[in-house]
Amino acid sequence: MNETFYDVMRRQGITRRSFLKFCSLTAASLGLSPAFAPKIAQAMETKPRIPVLWLHGLECTCCSESFIRSGHPLAKDVILSMLSLDYDDTIMAAAGHNAEAIVDEIVEKYKGNYILAVEGNPPLAEDGMYCIIGGKPFVEQLKYAAESCKAIISWGSCASWGCVQAAKPNPTRATPVHKVPGLADKPIIKVPGCPPIAEVMTAVVAYLLTFDKLPTLDKQGRPQMFYSQRIHDKCYRRPHFDAGQFVEHWDDEAARQGHCLYKMGCKGPTTYNACSTVRWNEGTSFPIQAGHGCIGCSEDGFWDKGSFYERLTDINQFGIEANADAVGGTAAAVVGAGIAAHAGLTALKRARQSGAEQQ
Amino acid sequence: MQWRNVEQISCALETVFNGVLETRMRGVPIINPALSVQAIGFNPFNGDWLGVLITPWFMNLLLLPGLDSQWREQPPGGKFQQSFPYGTFEFTLAREAQLGTYALCSLFSPMFQFENQSAALAAAQAALQGLLTVPAARAVSRRDLLRGAFGSR
Repeated sequence: MNETFYDVMRRQGITRRSFLKFCSLTAASLGLSPAFAPKIAQAMETKPRIPVLWLHGLECTCCSESFIRSGHPLAKDVILSMLSLDYDDTIMAAAGHNAEAIVDEIVEKYKGNYILAVEGNPPLAEDGMYCIIGGKPFVEQLKYAAESCKAIISWGSCASWGCVQAAKPNPTRATPVHKVPGLADKPIIKVPGCPPIAEVMTAVVAYLLTFDKLPTLDKQGRPQMFYSQRIHDKCYRRPHFDAGQFVEHWDDEAARQGHCLYKMGCKGPTTYNACSTVRWNEGTSFPIQAGHGCIGCSEDGFWDKGSFYERLTDINQFGIEANADAVGGTAAAVVGAGIAAHAGLTALKRARQSGAEQQ
Repeated sequence: MQWRNVEQISCALETVFNGVLETRMRGVPIINPALSVQAIGFNPFNGDWLGVLITPWFMNLLLLPGLDSQWREQPPGGKFQQSFPYGTFEFTLAREAQLGTYALCSLFSPMFQFENQSAALAAAQAALQGLLTVPAARAVSRRDLLRGAFGSR
């Protein structure tokens, strides 16, 4: 079976014109110049479709919900035609034993060549009994599918960090994918967020397909092109932060004027995500634009960091490095001017439009 | 506001943001007390003025509009892209009563990682210098050469 993505799309009744439009949109969402659209088109027309297994552990399905609402109606058609052919228990037609048989079939037929997308995570307590899929603990299905996959995509904060089910005291020992003991050593792309932005999800899949390699990841394993900047860096309310104009109470004059939400607990200054640039619902808005602070849903352990409405005050909360690559909040003071100059250049590189290095 | 020279710009920015520091930012726990407000390296760029503004709570690249700037009258909160030798950067529009419209691109915020003003100054100068320098050339492939796609990124 050497079906290409393009074949699948044509079969779904997608016109060539729409297909090319999808390619330009994908190039744009990856931060690539329009000159890359033909390259994406060519890859979709010629490369065999990569099979995708989409497993669901402990989760709320918000990742799938986000994904099927990708900005461009076509993006969802394309990606869904790619995925629903294989295994995704939320959207596939098969059920019961037939469905579970698909997992075996993919694992056998495409050994080493399929992408394993994981939504949610496995609970490890009581031998994984808190999440049973097809009569077996999810953790077993996960390990089995991971054994022969090409790469793993950890969709959302559940798979990436653990999210609410891993919040203290984590009674089921819900464990993010990369921390599952005994899991095959495969490259893992973390796409955190609760849920992640639809355009980011489709772009990650499209990138894997087009370039046949993983996107550049930061030290925490997230695609740099979408997670290298904080909400705060690109927030349209940033001028109000700089000018010291803060909302003090919900619905005060400052709130009506759209001032900075830092004092209302906004976690924008510590959250690495693309919400303030890509935005949501076809680029319509994002939480801060709707008048509520960022809750930091794409950050590790965001449920255990206190109230959503509590101000960031603890210096360590800021992840002093102001650097997506810094794990945790190491409070390293810049001392010498030499190091400071380096920090300046690093900040400059980070601020530059993503995609510039993706050629 | 018509921007004429470095002295005028530095004086205006430092007055405004020192004012903000003493009033609106009072008691906000994201101030690095070792730092002070300083405007750095403002020079004409493409019809606008480009420089860096250091305050105890942020360090931004700043563009102040020339008289013919297209973005001069655009509403605050909007964004535009500006190309520099180093690459393309997104700027956010801001408006302050005493300054009029200006545009910012965040480099640091908050500023706790800087031990003193000279460290912040060194970072600002390095960033500004880097911004105006073309990054080391990449090898040009035959395909890029034929497409004319070289040296632009």
